[in-house]
Amino acid sequence: MNPALFLHLMSIESRRLLSYRVDFWITMILTLIVQLVVIWALWTAIFAESGKDIVAGWDLQGILAYGVFVFLTGRVVRGGDLQMAVATEIYDGSLSRFLVYPCNYCFTKYAQQLGNIFPDIFQSVLMALLIIPFMESSTTVDLNLTGILMCLPSIFCAHLLFFMMGLLPQMVAFWADNVWSLSVMMRMVTMLIGGATFPLSLFPDSMQSVLYMLPFRYLFEFPTLVLLGKVGIEEWITGIVSCLIWCGFFLLLLIPVWRRGTLRYTGVGI
Amino acid sequence: MIEVKNLRKVFRIHQKPPGLLASVRSLFRREYVDKVAVAGADFSVGEGEIVGMIGANGAGKTTLVKMLSGIVHPTSGEARVLGYNPWDKHNDLRRQISLIMGQKAQLWWDLPGADCFELLREIYQIPRPEYESNLKRLTEMLQVEDELNTQIRRLSLGERMKMELIAALLHSPRVVYLDEPTIGLDITTQKAVRDFLLSYRQDHAPAMILTSHYMEDIERLCERIIIIREGELVYDGNLKRVIHEYAPYKQLTVHLNRAETAAVDKDYLERIGKVMEEKAGTIILRIPRDQVTSAAAEILRKFSVQDLSIADPEISEIIELIMGGNEKPQR
Repeated sequence: MNPALFLHLMSIESRRLLSYRVDFWITMILTLIVQLVVIWALWTAIFAESGKDIVAGWDLQGILAYGVFVFLTGRVVRGGDLQMAVATEIYDGSLSRFLVYPCNYCFTKYAQQLGNIFPDIFQSVLMALLIIPFMESSTTVDLNLTGILMCLPSIFCAHLLFFMMGLLPQMVAFWADNVWSLSVMMRMVTMLIGGATFPLSLFPDSMQSVLYMLPFRYLFEFPTLVLLGKVGIEEWITGIVSCLIWCGFFLLLLIPVWRRGTLRYTGVGI
Repeated sequence: MIEVKNLRKVFRIHQKPPGLLASVRSLFRREYVDKVAVAGADFSVGEGEIVGMIGANGAGKTTLVKMLSGIVHPTSGEARVLGYNPWDKHNDLRRQISLIMGQKAQLWWDLPGADCFELLREIYQIPRPEYESNLKRLTEMLQVEDELNTQIRRLSLGERMKMELIAALLHSPRVVYLDEPTIGLDITTQKAVRDFLLSYRQDHAPAMILTSHYMEDIERLCERIIIIREGELVYDGNLKRVIHEYAPYKQLTVHLNRAETAAVDKDYLERIGKVMEEKAGTIILRIPRDQVTSAAAEILRKFSVQDLSIADPEISEIIELIMGGNEKPQR
């Protein structure tokens, strides 16, 4: 795909989302308030109940910071509202127009997905600027410029991995008409074992060793730990490379699924 | 430009009987039936030719168009479009074809037309000067220059279809598939779309396949038609000739003098031909072609006639007969 088209698709998607001004601000304010209340209430209660200052390597301020930043980075990684777009286009036949255009459908979707995250980036930065002054210092996390710079490529790789992992269940729509439940289930599992709810270090040891072998941790936990200064440079490089290898693995899976899927495609609805 | 040989498509369709019990049963065991959408199509379309594809709903027209545009893979058979196999989805082919689906918006709903066209310029890699001159010409022809900055979703159906046409023709395609391009449009807009398509054909000489349920589209735009019935091509030929091939009769309309009106012997008329209508001194008869002259002479002899005319039946009438499987080819 030519770079100009890629950028154009990104820009159009961003403009499309930003044109819904009311939705933009309501989404940001409401989700921020709800998330902050849930994180604060949950972890304050857990720490008060346990009577400990440090739980699995986290103090209360540290785990609150994790909760806030995994939410903010997670918004960027998940990127807007394209989660069901591919399945919907297969289901209602809108995919047809893309099959006639002389460009790669998956690249088109990825460009749109990237364009989709700009409003999320904007919102996440705004929310972070609002919250950081009120955060108390923690002995277990260290938010600094190095972490922020290292976090950016981690988020980019996580976003790519999330996109590729998300495409697979959506392409099941070539075989099954409705994959909404499958996508929701995948999303819940991904959030849970990817560290979007709490760090994987809080899972039992036996589960941790399995979870660290899976790709999910690179989606939410890894970029957040990088941001909070809990990942060394060597571990960071290994993490980025592992994430990209997983992207390659899913790409290899996607190619035959797409080919076989488009063979079955009937373009219903036109 | 388009060559189709024995092209066939069979869909496997899940049958879901009504009722809750059947729905529960279908969770464990499903029944499928094979539906032949296209049963071995053979035809070709040359440069500058507009071929009208006619058939009842579900006859297989759209499936054929979807196969030729590379959206759907055939079950068997061959097709070459500009020398390419369409379902190989070769970009060199996709840059030269276009598909307009009247029932499905293809433009970006939330964007104004100008943004959509700019995006299509990138997709088709149209050089900027060519793009600007094409856009100016097309918008002027369809009179939508003032609507370019309006979001697509805020346009009327007619304006939206005009935008769809511009979007589909911006890259000057050599093959155009039009699937019911005038569906739902008012008469004025339908005419504007037809005039526009004729003008496009004159300038670019593309091969066009048009499916439509509106006979006026077909009569205005196509010299050749293909009639599909239950997936089978039952007629492929000149639009005008369909009458001679499939209508073994002519229509005789007789206007009688006022005094004659009451004295018409219906049995007598039935012996001459089939009475289609008889009221207020006007009689319409359907008469075998080879008996028209003698029938007209006999009527003139028998009745006091004010006016008499002989005409071929309406094309739409013949096509309806063929589509319904009631035709009798004149051999």
